[in-house]
Amino acid sequence: MTVTGAETGRRTMPAVAAKGVTKIYGHGDAAVHALRGVDVGFDTGAFTAIMGPSGSGKSTLMHCLAGLDTVTEGEVRIGDVDITRLGDKRLTLLRRDRVGFIFQAFNLLPTLTAEQNIRLPVDIAGRQVDQELFDTVIGTVGLADRLGHRPSELSGGQQQRVAVARALISKPQVIFADEPTGNLDSRSGAEVLSFLRTSVRDLHQTIVMVTHDPVAASYADRVVFLRDGALVTELAAPTPQTVLDTLLKLEA
Amino acid sequence: MLRTTLAGLLAHKLRLLLTSLAITLGVGFIAGTFVLTDTLQAGFTQRIAASADKVDVAVRPAESGGEKAPRLSTADLTRIRGVAGVAEAQGLVRGDAALVGKDGKAVGSAPTTGFSVVTGRLDRTTIASGTAPTAAGQVVIDTNTAKTRGFTTGDTVTVLDSRHRPHAFQVTGLVDVGVDQMLAYTGAVGFTTATAQAMTGETGFHEIDIAASDGVTPENLRAAITSALGGTGATVWTGQQLAQQLARSNGADTEILTLGLLMFGLVAMLVAALVIYNTFNILVAQRTREMALLRCIGATRRQVFGSILLESAVVGLISSALGLLTGLGLGAGALAVLKATGQNLPSAGVALAPRTIAIALAVGLVVTVGAALLPARTATRVAPIAALRTQTDEQTFTTGMLRIAFAALFLLTGGGLTVAAVVADPGPVALYVAMGGGTLTFCAVLVLGPVIVRPLSAFAGWAPAKLFGVPGRLAMDNSRRNPKRSATTTVALTIGVTLMTLISVITATMRATYTVKLDEQFPVDYMVSAQAGESENSSVPRDLAGALRARPELTSVVEIRQARAGRGGGTGGGSGGGSGGGKLTVGTFSGPYKPALRGGSMTGFTAGSALVSDSVAKDLGVAPGGTITLTTPKAGTVEVRVLGTFDGETEALPGVTVPDGAFDTYFGAVGDDRILVNAKDGVAADVSRKAVEAAAMPYPTAQVVSSTEVRREFDETLDMTLMIIVGLLGLAVLISLLGIANTLSLSVHERSRESALLRALGLTRGQLRRMLSAEALILGLIGAIVGVALGLVFGWVAAQTLMADILFRVPLAQVAGLVALSGLAGVLAAVFPARRAARASIVASLASD
Repeated sequence: MTVTGAETGRRTMPAVAAKGVTKIYGHGDAAVHALRGVDVGFDTGAFTAIMGPSGSGKSTLMHCLAGLDTVTEGEVRIGDVDITRLGDKRLTLLRRDRVGFIFQAFNLLPTLTAEQNIRLPVDIAGRQVDQELFDTVIGTVGLADRLGHRPSELSGGQQQRVAVARALISKPQVIFADEPTGNLDSRSGAEVLSFLRTSVRDLHQTIVMVTHDPVAASYADRVVFLRDGALVTELAAPTPQTVLDTLLKLEA
Repeated sequence: MLRTTLAGLLAHKLRLLLTSLAITLGVGFIAGTFVLTDTLQAGFTQRIAASADKVDVAVRPAESGGEKAPRLSTADLTRIRGVAGVAEAQGLVRGDAALVGKDGKAVGSAPTTGFSVVTGRLDRTTIASGTAPTAAGQVVIDTNTAKTRGFTTGDTVTVLDSRHRPHAFQVTGLVDVGVDQMLAYTGAVGFTTATAQAMTGETGFHEIDIAASDGVTPENLRAAITSALGGTGATVWTGQQLAQQLARSNGADTEILTLGLLMFGLVAMLVAALVIYNTFNILVAQRTREMALLRCIGATRRQVFGSILLESAVVGLISSALGLLTGLGLGAGALAVLKATGQNLPSAGVALAPRTIAIALAVGLVVTVGAALLPARTATRVAPIAALRTQTDEQTFTTGMLRIAFAALFLLTGGGLTVAAVVADPGPVALYVAMGGGTLTFCAVLVLGPVIVRPLSAFAGWAPAKLFGVPGRLAMDNSRRNPKRSATTTVALTIGVTLMTLISVITATMRATYTVKLDEQFPVDYMVSAQAGESENSSVPRDLAGALRARPELTSVVEIRQARAGRGGGTGGGSGGGSGGGKLTVGTFSGPYKPALRGGSMTGFTAGSALVSDSVAKDLGVAPGGTITLTTPKAGTVEVRVLGTFDGETEALPGVTVPDGAFDTYFGAVGDDRILVNAKDGVAADVSRKAVEAAAMPYPTAQVVSSTEVRREFDETLDMTLMIIVGLLGLAVLISLLGIANTLSLSVHERSRESALLRALGLTRGQLRRMLSAEALILGLIGAIVGVALGLVFGWVAAQTLMADILFRVPLAQVAGLVALSGLAGVLAAVFPARRAARASIVASLASD
């Protein structure tokens, strides 16, 4: 089963694509099939959510797509590069230049200020920060007066907004967000999600988000559903209700 | 609880290993010290016992307190031989008998000791090869002298008698002097008893050995001889008592060695304690959730406390046991090295006394558990609710009032003591005060560590941050994020670096100061003097000075003679009269010499007048214008008027200097104690040297030294001392490096999620490794900077307390090298932690706590 953004009718090259991705942990009897031949593409400039019950393999899929973990079989492309063929060094450089991350927690380096954290990926790459973009992003996430603070002096929502800003600042080809609202109250969560939404709309950012929250998923353009390591269905223009219904069907 | 602790320990074998290594090394050094000295002592005792076993009773002369070694007379020997129950009695002769080397000069700086070789039942000499001397023309030489001077059995050698007349002897064998320190030091030549008396000019005996007749016990014989010798004050021992006595005096030597080495062991253990303290602190911080979980499921504070202490006890016990084994190895190794370098050591099995085992285990255990006490107390403060928190809190550090108060207290008292030591007159007291001041100041640094580590890391991290870019900047931030931890880690290194800097500063200062003093004291190119012998006539004949003056290559020959005179006290001119009694060195000079006077004048320096050194003037309480009463052998009691005083340290003159004519009147025609000679301008060093040596050739005991030789000898001694001390301190530095490695690997473990995040964001493995190396580099540099600063200050202070008028020198190259090495060592310590961090899987690290 191949699931792409074909429903729009336009066939562009996807920002990220997986082809027959299989991931097996362990050997022999103890082998766990986390992913069983997943084929999926994520369109440029789209906000896609990956959903599924616990243990469905959604985090593993994201790790493999982002080049954080190796695949057992199959091919993962970010743009035109097959990342499964890259060594650690090239892979690291690719992550640095083309991928942004937002994790559930522990997104920031405690020793750095908010601004230093935001600039970190660009600094590591040794590039100059696009000051106009920086100002736009800071304005969007509303952190202008918190830039000199360290993570311990920021609220959970503010910390996640710093993480979003950091992901946006290097203009990556794709941003992977792993349960970005998992640790936040609903108001802060809604803020972070609307920033992601805005960045897709205004900056044409590609975002792939793993979540188990139907409300969070409803911010996406499209939701793909996993069960037992395989892609089972997808939903375009989701609402919390349709996402919930689909999940309930999957659990049944 | 016990099972939980042990399971935790087993689960972290590597952590255990690193922690133990610090203790193992410290304990190993201490145990090694005991093993080495015990083995030496056991060997000596064994030999002494074997030697003394042949004697039933030994008689030693009464301590006379005089300048000449006391002797037993022939009459004493006759009396002893007359005692019932004495089967045989032999007097042992000992005195100077200079062996002449193949170069025609007497060997060594002191004459070899001539001794009598007794044959028969009381023979205590160990002949290594050949046979004992049985006739007048025969001699045995000690093995070491034979080896170094190239003599062997069958050779004909020349030995000088007490009047420096040469006699030829045939070497019949080589003798092993064993534990006799005197013979081992000077070298030994053994004759038959009669020849020994003739050669040394000794008529008495330094010991009489007695064998008992059958059926007579040594105790009874000792009593009989004691009563026969009643009134002479001689000491009478049984063979056993003699052995004990010899062993005791030998033991005093090994005890000094033991104490010296233990000092370094103590420093090593102090550093190890800091490392352990830090390790347990980090472990407790990292296991906050584990502790909280234990508390949640019902463990009491006491149980948590106990579990940490138990863990430290297990670590302490295991590492002490390993340390004991290391110590055995170290001790045996040191013995092997000593033997390989040709030290005359008895070969006995390696001694492992129960005391060594007890001390090693106790020290290791006490230090480990003691260092874990505070961390264990911290662990009890963990609230059960902490188990539920997902993110560990960043350690925030604020400078508390208590810390400031303590630091101020230490700093003030330490600084005060230090200033007092600098102001005080140089001497042991000032040195001890300075040591106290130094220790207190160090305590202040220890307390202030977390406060000063932040600015220092900015300083030390400046270059790495510039060089390594983002990884370097992150490293600098990491090095200061937990100031307490960084401070303890670096202080461990600081201890070693401080002491090393201190020693190198003192050495450099002493070298500079002595070189200048040497130039003042030794304002001449050559000095000719006699071998320093036991006999009074350790002087060279005056003819030698004449021969030197006759040489066209040489000039300004000054003879200096001296003798001992009875002291009648001084009166007038100074702060009251000094007391009489005791002896004074009185001397004279003849030749072109102009002493620089501090007080008085040379005018009227004729018979009946004298110049005195300022120290003698102080002792006697005289000043120019006063008088000194001297008891002389030839002129009886004479009074001399003090004309002037001179600096005893820089002038080459005896304490009381009289005109040369007067000297001869007082003491007769005494030979020259030393002759100062200069080369004529334009004469090459090797030419003038040959001229001096040629003039001295007919006088085997006359030794020629040049100022360059003296300086070189002094330099070599200093270098050697520096090397040994730095080598011994190296252990403490090694342990502190283990501490850096340990702290870093625990920090890396703690920050694995952070590292994973950085890697996800695009930090390459190489950059991550560089980041951790830079962090270790910064830690190493901080430790070194503080150590160098303290070492320089207290090096200066110590030098001030050691002597007056020092020329303070900082050995820049050595200090810079020390700083560089510390940084490098820090980087080395980071190799394994950094590799492990770089290899870690990103996904796994992100998922873990």
